[in-house]
Amino acid sequence: MHQAAMAAGTDALTAALLGNPNTGKSTLFTALAGIPTRVGNYPGVTVEEKLGRYTHRGRSIDLIDLPGTYSLVAQGPDEQVAVDVLHGRQQGVPRPDVVVVVADATNLERNLFLATQATELGLPLVVALTLTDVAARRGITINTAELGNRLGCEVIPVAAPSRRGLTELGDAICAAAVPRPLPLGPDGVDTERAPAARDAIRRYALVERILAGTVGRRPQSGPLPEERLDQLLTHRIWGTLAFAAVMLLLFSAIFWLAAPLMDLISAGVDAVAERLAARLPAGAIRDLLIDGVLAGIGGVVVFVPQIALLFVFIAALEGCGYLARAAYLMDRLLVGVGLSGKSFIPLLSSFACAIPGIMAARTIENRRDRLLTILVAPLMSCSARLPVYLLLCGAFVPNLAVGLSWLRLPAVVLAGMYALGVIVAAAVAFLLSKTVFRGPPQPFVMELPGWRWPQPAVVLERAREAVWSFLTNAGTLILAMSVVIWALSNYPRREAAIAGDIEARRAAMAAALADPATPSSDREELATELAALETPAGAESARRGAIQRQSFLGQAGRLIEPVVRPLGWDWRIGCAAIASFPAREVVLGTLAVLYDLPEDDAEGTGLERRLKAARWDDTSRPVFTLPVALSIMVFFALCAQCASTLVVIGRETGSWVWPVVTFVYMTTLAWLGAFMIYQLGTWAGW
Amino acid sequence: MAVAQGTLEDAVLGECVRVGDVSGNDRVAIRLLEMGLTPGATVRVLGRAPFGDPLELEVRGYRLSIRRAEAARVVLEAN
Repeated sequence: MHQAAMAAGTDALTAALLGNPNTGKSTLFTALAGIPTRVGNYPGVTVEEKLGRYTHRGRSIDLIDLPGTYSLVAQGPDEQVAVDVLHGRQQGVPRPDVVVVVADATNLERNLFLATQATELGLPLVVALTLTDVAARRGITINTAELGNRLGCEVIPVAAPSRRGLTELGDAICAAAVPRPLPLGPDGVDTERAPAARDAIRRYALVERILAGTVGRRPQSGPLPEERLDQLLTHRIWGTLAFAAVMLLLFSAIFWLAAPLMDLISAGVDAVAERLAARLPAGAIRDLLIDGVLAGIGGVVVFVPQIALLFVFIAALEGCGYLARAAYLMDRLLVGVGLSGKSFIPLLSSFACAIPGIMAARTIENRRDRLLTILVAPLMSCSARLPVYLLLCGAFVPNLAVGLSWLRLPAVVLAGMYALGVIVAAAVAFLLSKTVFRGPPQPFVMELPGWRWPQPAVVLERAREAVWSFLTNAGTLILAMSVVIWALSNYPRREAAIAGDIEARRAAMAAALADPATPSSDREELATELAALETPAGAESARRGAIQRQSFLGQAGRLIEPVVRPLGWDWRIGCAAIASFPAREVVLGTLAVLYDLPEDDAEGTGLERRLKAARWDDTSRPVFTLPVALSIMVFFALCAQCASTLVVIGRETGSWVWPVVTFVYMTTLAWLGAFMIYQLGTWAGW
Repeated sequence: MAVAQGTLEDAVLGECVRVGDVSGNDRVAIRLLEMGLTPGATVRVLGRAPFGDPLELEVRGYRLSIRRAEAARVVLEAN
């Protein structure tokens, strides 16, 4: 059956790495095969599929890194993957010729539970014993030869970071044989029990027999340093304080440390755009390349620093064993709304950006919890919403003191926007967990792995892989969407309509200027604006505004005006909301263009002034009032106004259903929220 | 060995107890058994998370965290 393994030939051999989570399986994979040749998801499930290849004494060995599993009696689709691969039932993955069980020497009882199951696969078997140095420090002595005798296969101690034992492991893989079946011992008469339960009880009895005499444990004199550390870091008070400090560090890293890198990327894109603009002849091709393609590429690459930093952090925390402790500390808080402790870091990261946050949800093994976390993550107010909040709070929320002199209303409103996202996320998670995701109780049985130093190679590989998968899988689609939205907001260019638009605006301003009813302050403003139209820059921004108003996007904005009117918006705000679909931060630039302001001025006070001066078409009623500003902010707080996030949700869940669900539910909530705050504000006369 | 009855949920912090049985036949029960909480195994409750749930256990030489709802499934051996 396993000629490849049996024959001493030189043909390629496929070996599967099987092991419990946290056994150093990834470290071993990286030490043996380096960068994987294939990383992806197994079809239909979100479990990572990792393949690699290396050469041992001239023989090519293909490695399959199986998802970490505690048992081969699969209880869920994720664990089923490991079983399916081992039986050759997984599409696109060859049945392994040899199984390498990666067993943690500090924790042999539970690790051998899986190893004894592996002896029943009918495949040649090798056991790689990891963390033997830590085991020795803890006073654990292992007679590997006797252990191998009892298991019926070779047991090779390895230390992947120092590459010790890797050659011996390769020899053992090439020479591995099918072990003889191990007797499980008498089955109890307890027929009430499920077969899997009876199997587990008998299997631990078998493991105890195997370990008796082969593994010794020197009595410890007092707690080990790592035990003291564990006590401190899972302590109710100190543990919580340490947790807060670690999370603050993580959050500031992705929020602040990434910022200069992101600025650098933006500056680089701008520099390239400038050079292109200087070399290419003006026209549609140049506009497409610079404003469509290049801006789209910039919009994708700009996420890379945050993703890389977050994954370096997560991999380091996972590698040292803290990730599980963080989930342990936060579990109770999140379980109340239907999530779990492991949702905390993905949700926290989403305050910087939902994209790395959603990707970080990969650390949640439970499918239901993972999906629920992904669905509510975009409700956390990300950094792209902040400029919108800041502009509108600064311009339209009266700078009044709230109770205390230093506490100002704009700051309270700003904080309120963040709170709104969290509260709505909690409510949505709670409702979904009680309805769509209702099901039998899911076991929350989480190992708190031993403390150890994270392996730099594994940490970097994790970050590289996250960035790569984002760029190749999500990035291309995000780029395509950016180009489409660019085209929609720039075409059709009917010159007659554009000229008419500009002329109509000029006429309206001139008429207002001539109208004796116009107050003198507005008169001055109108005069400067009319004069600006004659300058080249003024004419250019007027033209850009006219193009956008006449484009498909402008037409769409007018089309949806009845929908956004109850929110207090004019059609331009509706346009800006549509245009910001690829990325929220676009909204300010779009508003600037629609109100004929040079785009560069969008961040400054120019836009604030322009928004304050905006009037409803053919009236003197200002568009932007406090209720309208609040309505826009609430809409942006709750809407799924980010194509990149939706693309990443699609890629991470492996289905297009979930991005659609996210978009629909969030947009509905955003509309309802904006409607309520606008109507309430108008009724209360804010 | 402490004289203990009832379930792991109300085990005293820091004391060693022995598993008598795991009730139920569902995924939760099987997972608890697979993680080593089989009849006769020695368990120590090392701590509780800040909000009282989940629990941190030591079983078969490693640290395991389970929620109180799961701990209630683990019936202790009456000495």
